[in-house]
Amino acid sequence: MKLHVIQQRRFWWMISLAVILSGLIAMAISWQQFGAPLRPSLDFVGGTRLQLERDCTQPNTCQQPIDLAKVRQVVAAQGLSAGNVQLLGAERQGVSIRTTTLTVDQRTALQSALDAELGPFDPLRTQIDTVGPVIGRQLLVSGLMALIVAFAGIIAYLTLRFQFDYAFFAIVALFHDVLVTAGVFAILGLTAGVEVDSLFIVALLTIVGFSVNDTVVIYDRVRETIKQNPTGKIDAIVDASVNQTLARSINTTLTTTLPLLAILLFGGATLKFFALALIIGFIAGAYSSIFIASTLLAWWRERSEAPEGGQSVSTPQSEGESS
Amino acid sequence: MQKQRLMLIFVTLLTIAALLVIVRFPTRLGLDLQGGAQLLIQVKPSEEITQVGERELAAVKAVLENRVNGLGVSEPIVQTVGTDQISVQLPGVSDPQQAERVLGGTAQLEFRKQRLGTDAQLQAELAVRQGLLAQQEQLRTSGDEAAIAANQAALERSNAAIQALFEPAQPTPLTGKYLRDAGPQPTQAGGWEVVLRFDAKGGEIFADLTKELAGTGRTLGVFLDNVLLTAPVVGPEFAETGITGGSAVITGNFDAQRANELGIQLRGGALPLPVEVVENRTVGATLGRDSVQSSIYAGVGGLILVLIFMVAYYRLPGAIADLALVLYALFTFAAFKLLGVTLTLPGIAGFILSIGMAVDANVLIFERTREELRAGKTLYRSVESGFYRAFSSILDSNVTTLIACAALFWLGSGLVRGFALTLALGVGVSMFTALTCSRTFLLTAISLPELRKPELFCPNLPKS
Repeated sequence: MKLHVIQQRRFWWMISLAVILSGLIAMAISWQQFGAPLRPSLDFVGGTRLQLERDCTQPNTCQQPIDLAKVRQVVAAQGLSAGNVQLLGAERQGVSIRTTTLTVDQRTALQSALDAELGPFDPLRTQIDTVGPVIGRQLLVSGLMALIVAFAGIIAYLTLRFQFDYAFFAIVALFHDVLVTAGVFAILGLTAGVEVDSLFIVALLTIVGFSVNDTVVIYDRVRETIKQNPTGKIDAIVDASVNQTLARSINTTLTTTLPLLAILLFGGATLKFFALALIIGFIAGAYSSIFIASTLLAWWRERSEAPEGGQSVSTPQSEGESS
Repeated sequence: MQKQRLMLIFVTLLTIAALLVIVRFPTRLGLDLQGGAQLLIQVKPSEEITQVGERELAAVKAVLENRVNGLGVSEPIVQTVGTDQISVQLPGVSDPQQAERVLGGTAQLEFRKQRLGTDAQLQAELAVRQGLLAQQEQLRTSGDEAAIAANQAALERSNAAIQALFEPAQPTPLTGKYLRDAGPQPTQAGGWEVVLRFDAKGGEIFADLTKELAGTGRTLGVFLDNVLLTAPVVGPEFAETGITGGSAVITGNFDAQRANELGIQLRGGALPLPVEVVENRTVGATLGRDSVQSSIYAGVGGLILVLIFMVAYYRLPGAIADLALVLYALFTFAAFKLLGVTLTLPGIAGFILSIGMAVDANVLIFERTREELRAGKTLYRSVESGFYRAFSSILDSNVTTLIACAALFWLGSGLVRGFALTLALGVGVSMFTALTCSRTFLLTAISLPELRKPELFCPNLPKS
């Protein structure tokens, strides 16, 4: 198998653009619905989530699934808006209730009312999450800060090890990966009600740290090939480098996504969407290294290099600014 | 050959050490895995104290520690977070409601007079409490929840009994709001004492209180959240006027540490700083256990798939990489235990992910080796240059991941940091195992004639 990435670059760019655009449209719709580009979880907007599971060890307790209408009644009787009530588990013996932030007393009252009406619930399988709105903002801000710092660090390192234009296009590829992942989750948020929590920010940062790997490996090859063949055409060099590292790109993506796939299928509920985000991000990362970062680099060098080719790269900083 | 033999011995020793560490050291599970409550408490500025500083935060932390001890939880952790928050972790807490209620109130410091003729009783009750406290300390390390709860109930009865020996201060109670400051101070004799300073109004009440108590042998009980902190005696020389001037010292057999502790506790009670529970994440014990189990199953399942893939695709080097990978998992797990890393759910995810990264280095090396073989080089040269050529890629790609980890660790909060730490550790160890273990094993393998066959390294190699 041999890829002609340079020849077909417009085609690959279109695919990425289409995916990113549909993600952006989904984000715009989300913005109108939730006031955020992705469906935010408790972690970001604050509130209380109560997750209860029935204690099925006692006789005559779990014969029927929990009645959703009844849960709503109990919640309403407590004077709370029953906005988000879901049944959990295959047997429908668990229930998750999301409300505005509850005080301890409100929460206790709700819990005992539910226990009396629908219980008994197993305290060992109870999960309570209360997050103040301030915390959510802190999380978001610190997450975004971490993202920016990571970007800056990676640009600095790659500029040091390669050149600024390499670093710049690696970052373009990173934005690509982040946008694709966020876009898919925006779509999932609209269609399947998938919420993003603080783990999603962790996932994005991992994608950033991870998918730049692929780009670096290809760049490393490009640099090496240029060294061996300083007069070669950049298009041919990039094409060859991508193909030489292709087996590695595919295999690595495979070996990293295999464990993630296992978590997605068999892991605990908390990690499922974390794993999904990583899978999407890593695949996007492999794609963008091959089809975006390297083709953009070739396109840029082709434009800026003298026709004779060679390594006569002048002031890389100004190149970056003009792009 | 000599060098490789030494490396083999080194790796073997390291493996034995890792196994020992894994067996000997306990695994620290995060609250999301073992179940429990994690509360984040925000210290709010008040009218009097508009800025929460380090001193105030330490004082509030001391108050919260007192309250946490009152909950009778084994191995609680109380830590300050940032400039104005305190995180409280209560593993295995059975009643998060109670915990939240107890921790969320403003500290109550009160000075009370001992009742007449209760001296002997007080001494007896204090001795009982001392015993119970010592016992609680021991029980905490044992982790026996039922015994801790029973002992805690006894402690509460003891505290109530002590409280009953003191009268509520009348007519104006002397509370923490009149206390300006408190802290340790060295004495001339070389010991330590604790100084109290009241404001004008507090000074008056304090003078009245001490006047009544002076010379009677009755003590002045200092209570924080209804638990007796200390009960000093007021000397007979103050019988005329009480202790005037708004300041006093508590003397006794204090060492520097105990004097400092009491000072912080008093300051904490003096602070009218309201606290609020801004985050509460409680996970039931069974729920946590289920997530560990399914995550471990998933991790092991994923790992096995990767191991199979490596052998199927890369043949002998793949098998060697698998061996290195297993060692990688052992080393990383041992490092977690050695460094006391608390394993959280995201932490496990980071660990599993770093397995993927550990494979990447091997994949890079083996792809390079194959290229060299196809280019017609000898097996030994191919393996050598595979490692040599792949090194810069491995280094660059791992450093970028470490940069992202550093950003996460630096700026992230609790869970996020755990993930960053485990991933970074994994990346570090994976560089080591890929570059030393895999290399040594491979070079050893090709020194054996029966394994020195290029087709074991690269199938379908064109015959040269």
